[in-house]
Amino acid sequence: MPIERLLPRLFLIALLAVLALAGWQWRHGAPLSANLMELVPGSTPDALELRAEQRIQEPMNREMLVLVGHADPAEAVELAQQLSEKWQASGLFEKVQWNVQADLPALREQLLRGRLAMLPPRDRTDLIEHPEAFIQQRVQSLFDPFGGFSLVPSQEDWLGLTGRIQNGQPMHGSVQLDIGSGALIAKADGKSWVLLRARTRADAFDMRLPLHVSALLDEARQQASARDAQLLAASGLLYAAHGQQQATREITWVGGGATLGILLLLLLAFKRWRVLLAFVPVMVGMLFGATACVALFGKMHVMTLVLGSSLIGVAVDYPLHYLSKSWSLKPWRSWPALRLTLSGLSLSLATSCIGYLALAWTPFPALTQIAVFSAAGLVGAYLTAVCLLPALLNGVELRPAQWPLKIAEALMNARARLLTRVGTPVLLGALLIFCAAGLLQLTTKNDIRQWIAAPQSLTDEARSLARITGYQPTSQFFLVRGADQQQLLERQTALSQRLDQLVTQGKLQGYLSLNQLVATPAEQQAARAALDTLPAHWQPLLALGVPPEVLDNELANLRALPVQGIDDVLAGPLGEPWRLLWLGSNDQGVAGIVSLQGLNDAALLRAQAQDLPGVQLVDRLGDLNKVFAATQISAAELKLASCVLIVLLLILPFGLRGALRVIVLPLLAAVCSLASLGWLGQPLTLFSLFGLLLVTAISVDYAILMREQIGGAAVSLLGTLLAAATTWLSFGLLAISSTPAVSNFGLSVSLGLAFSFILAPWAGRQHGARS
Amino acid sequence: MSAFKGLLSLMLLTLTPLAHAFDLQQLSDQLAKPAVIHGAFVQEKHLRSLPQPLTSKGNFVLAKDSGLLWLLETPLKQDYRITAAGIARRATDGGWQMLPGKSAGAEQNRLFLAVLQGDSSGLQRDFDVQLSGDAQAWQLTLVPRSMLLKQVFNQININGGALVQRIELLETQGDSTLLKMIDSSSDKPLSDPERADFAD
Repeated sequence: MPIERLLPRLFLIALLAVLALAGWQWRHGAPLSANLMELVPGSTPDALELRAEQRIQEPMNREMLVLVGHADPAEAVELAQQLSEKWQASGLFEKVQWNVQADLPALREQLLRGRLAMLPPRDRTDLIEHPEAFIQQRVQSLFDPFGGFSLVPSQEDWLGLTGRIQNGQPMHGSVQLDIGSGALIAKADGKSWVLLRARTRADAFDMRLPLHVSALLDEARQQASARDAQLLAASGLLYAAHGQQQATREITWVGGGATLGILLLLLLAFKRWRVLLAFVPVMVGMLFGATACVALFGKMHVMTLVLGSSLIGVAVDYPLHYLSKSWSLKPWRSWPALRLTLSGLSLSLATSCIGYLALAWTPFPALTQIAVFSAAGLVGAYLTAVCLLPALLNGVELRPAQWPLKIAEALMNARARLLTRVGTPVLLGALLIFCAAGLLQLTTKNDIRQWIAAPQSLTDEARSLARITGYQPTSQFFLVRGADQQQLLERQTALSQRLDQLVTQGKLQGYLSLNQLVATPAEQQAARAALDTLPAHWQPLLALGVPPEVLDNELANLRALPVQGIDDVLAGPLGEPWRLLWLGSNDQGVAGIVSLQGLNDAALLRAQAQDLPGVQLVDRLGDLNKVFAATQISAAELKLASCVLIVLLLILPFGLRGALRVIVLPLLAAVCSLASLGWLGQPLTLFSLFGLLLVTAISVDYAILMREQIGGAAVSLLGTLLAAATTWLSFGLLAISSTPAVSNFGLSVSLGLAFSFILAPWAGRQHGARS
Repeated sequence: MSAFKGLLSLMLLTLTPLAHAFDLQQLSDQLAKPAVIHGAFVQEKHLRSLPQPLTSKGNFVLAKDSGLLWLLETPLKQDYRITAAGIARRATDGGWQMLPGKSAGAEQNRLFLAVLQGDSSGLQRDFDVQLSGDAQAWQLTLVPRSMLLKQVFNQININGGALVQRIELLETQGDSTLLKMIDSSSDKPLSDPERADFAD
């Protein structure tokens, strides 16, 4: 038959084209990503908010903070220095810094120029309202032997404004500058800890970088412990590295386990080596899935790969559809067997694709990727099973083992015996009671933390590091907008007043806001105006012997200082910690970030922004958890919508009643799985729901198989059993994942599959003992 | 003459070990000996642009186990205290008020205490230390090692005998501070009010 020669050739050409495309996609290495944030919904339509978020996240993803601890501070400093030199030489880092290399001339220059613009609010108030006390304090500070050294010599700043600016700088936790070495040192637990900051070259989610950094750190840990030192490290990079290692391990386990199990099953059931060719559609499916994913999204997330590896079990169902006909079709030949099952196969592809693609309409990029990967993978597997595999199996005569059929027959008989004693309505009633009682016990849980399987050691270390340094950045921040810089700084000042109270109460460790660094233009003007009142209070300074003309000259210099904007101040070395916080101007005006330290209570933070115009709390994780909860509802709606679609599709072959029966069984299976989760005390998460969404699509397939009953009920049940077993092998293995989200998904799919298999026989035209 | 020369070189030979014998360790031991030192101080700040220095006077109490009381008398009265906990200033109500830890300032005070207490190990970490003279009249010259300190100080000179007598800080910007310790004595123990000042 020409078509049986033409199809494999056409398919091989298509396959070569896809292979070429895949090769081109992988030309720069694996187009993989491990960035968690790429997986969660982009719930922020606001470009500015998005930009602010990236600003806040960027250091977390690119920087690694390390504490080098040793009982002897000198030893700690030396070790930190060696470590930083070694890391700098590794080429992984843009900058590794263990000491402050202050450019004092530049600092002096900025302090002098910013004497009015950068004067802290309290000092400005003193200058304006109590000029006499202001001068007195200056005289006092000239005699204070412990005031610390001012960077600017007294005669260049007779009013001592630069000293006040220096003292007004926010504290950097409990880390102190060691003036000898320039190192930043914190003392805790009987050790001196030298702070090391390493900033990587590229974004953290360049695939190999986290692993390299993590390896470098492990090496450094060993060296440190050989010298009685200890390293503490915290970075998004380390979580990424761990995530990747774990994903690799799980892909190996899930993919490898499923593959081995399925191959073994095929061999045992069909007793022919060539039947292992049934795995070709699986491999082609994976190729199609990965290629489509990279083509659409530019890259593929590792989580897609982990979840996608479960596709193995679904893809192998297509060849099984006609392979399992070998129990009834004697002699079995590939092409006739295919022709017999083609319509069922196509229906099954359509319903599965509908189920998977329903996932694509959720607001989760993660699920969109998985949907695309799976749908494309299924199409690839289907095409291989239809076009290529029969040609490969041409001439093979299958004489399958009899034991699987015996199991299927025994099951059918057991079912028949059961049905003679207890009618379907009674069973249904019992099942509904089981469901109702289970559903009552069901709890829901939605938390972004389910996506992360962070090992205790990493979080513990990050916590110790935060405790020792007092450096504890929170993911929440305030976004403040204003029409111009004046309004922005005014609004930030209003917010600062509230935050200061939290700091005093010990609820907030600290914050960074642009208004700490620079005064509004109006405030700068007020400070300048206040200079005119000073000569009336010169006496104490004159008494010290400061010549009056020197003071006049000083005032003239101060009056000549220009009003400084945010950009001017940020350009100087003192602006460095604030630079990330300035978002510049946009169409609506200007905007800035207020970053926070050591407070995660979103409700308390949200209250601070209340009634403050232009001030908004950005709480990405909190918002995400809300999106999770909201998505559960839309997921349920999607599930129903996909069912309607499947019914419409099935009306054609089965009629309305048949179609409804075929769809009701998977739905019932889903409800049973939900109830089982309740009975098991497992929470319903977004992921279990997605799992059930998927299982509906897959189990429609079983219902179709049982409905069509090609080769008799027992053979159909056997086909279902094989399909369910292979699918279960891959999804069930997901349940071992240490990422709660993935294992939750695996558990709910496993449960769903079990119930679908049990319920599938009821899809038959005449249910009951007559089969 | 040659006999005299020979004698001189012999003397020098025997003297040299003696001169070297007064080393940093001995200075440390010597300065660490007194438990409590009472004395007066005169501080002169020489600013480049002023014809005469800013002079202040007062008394101090240095207790080895507790810290330092620095009681400024003129031109204004202000009491300071340095302890392990940090620097405090006497408030108008008589109680001590801790000054917020300024990193650079705190470090300078550590140096200050190290100098007064003769803790040369603490100094050697950050400075090249040179000692000359003998136990009765010695001079310690501190030249900063680190880039950071070099941008602030050129040199610190400390002179003393049994106790520290004079500290001179030469800043890179041309200013200098001279601190003279007068009538220091290690005879008296801490008085009760002083003990109380250290206590709270």
